[in-house]
Amino acid sequence: MIEYAWLIPLIPVAASLIILFGAKEDPHSPLPWIGIGAIAVCLALSAAILWGFVSGGVALPYEKNWDWFSLATTIGGQSFVWTVPVGVLIDPPAAVLLFVVSLVSLMVQVYSISYMHDDTRFKRFFAFVSFFTAAMLGLVVSSNILVGFMCWELMGLTSYLLIGFWFERPGPCEAQKKAFMTTKLGDSGLYLALLLLYAKTGTFQLTQLHQHFALGLVAPAAATVAAFGILLGAMGKSAQAPLMVWLPDAMEGPTPGSALIHAATMVAAGILVVSKLYFVFLAAPLAMETAAWLGLITAFMAAAMALVSHDIKRVLAFSTVSQLGFMMCALGCGGFTAGLFHLTTHAFFKALLFLGAGSVIHAVHTNDMRQMGGLSRRMLLTFATMTVAVLAISGIWPFAGFYSKDMILVAAWNHEKAIFWPLLFTALMTAFYMTRLLTLTFLGDDRDHERFHHAHESPALITVPLLVLAFFSLTAGMAIAHDGLAARLFPKPALTAAAPAVAAAPATTATPPAVGAAPAANTSEVQTPEAEQELPDWLKFGIPAFFVPGAMLLAFFMYRGPKFEAAESIRNTFAPITTLLDRRWYLDDAFLALVAFCDQVAALAFWIDANIVDRVFVDGWGLLMRILAEISNFFDGAFVDATVDGVGGLSNDLGVGLRSLVADGQVQEYMMYAAIAFSLAATLILTR
Amino acid sequence: MTLADYMTVSALLFLIGVFGALTRRNIIGILMSIELMFNAANLNLAAFDRFLHPEGLIGQTLAIFTITVAAAEIVVGLALLLAIYRNTDTTYVEDFHLLKG
Repeated sequence: MIEYAWLIPLIPVAASLIILFGAKEDPHSPLPWIGIGAIAVCLALSAAILWGFVSGGVALPYEKNWDWFSLATTIGGQSFVWTVPVGVLIDPPAAVLLFVVSLVSLMVQVYSISYMHDDTRFKRFFAFVSFFTAAMLGLVVSSNILVGFMCWELMGLTSYLLIGFWFERPGPCEAQKKAFMTTKLGDSGLYLALLLLYAKTGTFQLTQLHQHFALGLVAPAAATVAAFGILLGAMGKSAQAPLMVWLPDAMEGPTPGSALIHAATMVAAGILVVSKLYFVFLAAPLAMETAAWLGLITAFMAAAMALVSHDIKRVLAFSTVSQLGFMMCALGCGGFTAGLFHLTTHAFFKALLFLGAGSVIHAVHTNDMRQMGGLSRRMLLTFATMTVAVLAISGIWPFAGFYSKDMILVAAWNHEKAIFWPLLFTALMTAFYMTRLLTLTFLGDDRDHERFHHAHESPALITVPLLVLAFFSLTAGMAIAHDGLAARLFPKPALTAAAPAVAAAPATTATPPAVGAAPAANTSEVQTPEAEQELPDWLKFGIPAFFVPGAMLLAFFMYRGPKFEAAESIRNTFAPITTLLDRRWYLDDAFLALVAFCDQVAALAFWIDANIVDRVFVDGWGLLMRILAEISNFFDGAFVDATVDGVGGLSNDLGVGLRSLVADGQVQEYMMYAAIAFSLAATLILTR
Repeated sequence: MTLADYMTVSALLFLIGVFGALTRRNIIGILMSIELMFNAANLNLAAFDRFLHPEGLIGQTLAIFTITVAAAEIVVGLALLLAIYRNTDTTYVEDFHLLKG
């Protein structure tokens, strides 16, 4: 099956084009089923590859390249032909992500058939979603990071299209621009980093880049600069502080699109690229440390904002940012396995949360959680699946999030205690605000009776995807954490020359290494020297058994009642902090102020340009030239022209004088001159 | 008689013609002098033909042709002269300055 891996990104592209151009827009168009069929084929292929690897039938990484284009260049008199290949590189994380992305996209599309059914641009939505998925799949499988970057940019485009799907409203219109420009700011960093890597190594191939780094051919300074560029790209795409501002506004798009953006495609891309180019970070400890702290700050800031928001989708958006912060922090702490593990599990439960929230919004026609409440009595399936997702994201055993978050905390513990404690606190905040969301929405009394009575369970097209995702949110963590599979699926890249990436992964399943054994085996000096340690027992068992349930119970009791007075009083007591969080740490204002400042700088620059550059230099130069030209003109008239005229006048005067001497109309005189001239000429010729 | 003798006679004829054309005041004299120069040229043609290419008659034919042309030309010249005379009542060339700028 793996020979057909190159087809995986191409099938949804074809489906997208067919949907987009196949027929006219029609709210009941059957074309979206083509997209669903295409992604189902992708899912089948991905599942076959993943199962093949897990069961030992398929050896990964698998790489196959084709020549894309060749450039003939001459350097120092010697001719070279540079061939740039394009191809697929399926390493174990890519196999997992292929499966995850295809699955989430399939669920989102099935869900959207029902959710988007009465939209005027029904068909177009599916074309965008297919294309979005294709771009992400392309980034996952590409062996050439330049092609990957193209997919990355295509994802930026499609996210723009999806966020601004209802472009006739001002909100989505602003949000799409914000998302596009914010991510572009990060993309520029990634692009420069890729160019730098190419300049230093002469290749865009991931495996070759890895070998260059493994052999230590890239200077640490260059690696650090490149790593920071990549980090900037990931900050934009994966919404890390301070470029996180676009993600909450991206909620303006259709909810299934948000689910896709938040779970499988857009924001996962940043983490994915960092993991694909992890060897660069391994060579740049400073960038690693920055990523860890950046992730921690992002996780905390976003979690704090989620505590106070009343909009159900915004809470989810903040939680996405927060979880991405966890992943970035894990990668920065050297917990490669933990970061990607969390990326995988997060995709399942975050897609589930968004789709569930969409189901709720579909039923009550509001995003405001204060107008919900008690919906569990109306929407049992949605409530049950959402509960699974909340338990998963909070980290309750045995749901998926427990395993991945635990691994992240272990990575942080081993790396730096100063990161571990805030991270643990953020994890408890996660449990708190997710339970708050669940309580406000589904439990307690119905606060808005009219909305409550109109609410009803969503149709099967919506609930079945929820159930599927709930199944994976429940089992994915257990399955991957089982028997050291996580370390096999997400083997940490090494920088040792002896074991470059291609040879690093075990081809057979004879002895799968235990969790933590893989990083310990690579005794490179840039890695954490001490071996992986377990958390102390009181933390290891205390976190899932007491701390997280404690936070959840606290939230439950605070928000259970109809008026949640306790929460409101806390809110009022700490009014400045609440305002700070409501205004999203003033990040938006900061960016606006920055823009306004840039505006003023531009105005100043314009003034300088108009009044100093134009007046003094341009106009002054013109004046100077004019004066010089006047001088030149005078000289030309008085001397050059006078000389020319003088020569002409002299000839004229001479001619007039001569004519008065000789030309009196006497033919004989002329003949005499002719005769004299002739005889003179004849004499000269004959006597020569 | 050698070619040089013919050439000498021809040159003398030509010089007489030139002298006459330059010095005569009467335009009829000038025309006659021009005829002399023509004839000098004709003599040259016949002489060169006789001495250099005795096998053919091209030169002599050309001389006769030239005589014919000269006769035609002198007719034109006399006609012009007659027209001028009728307008100016004189045959002296110093009085002819119609073309003076």
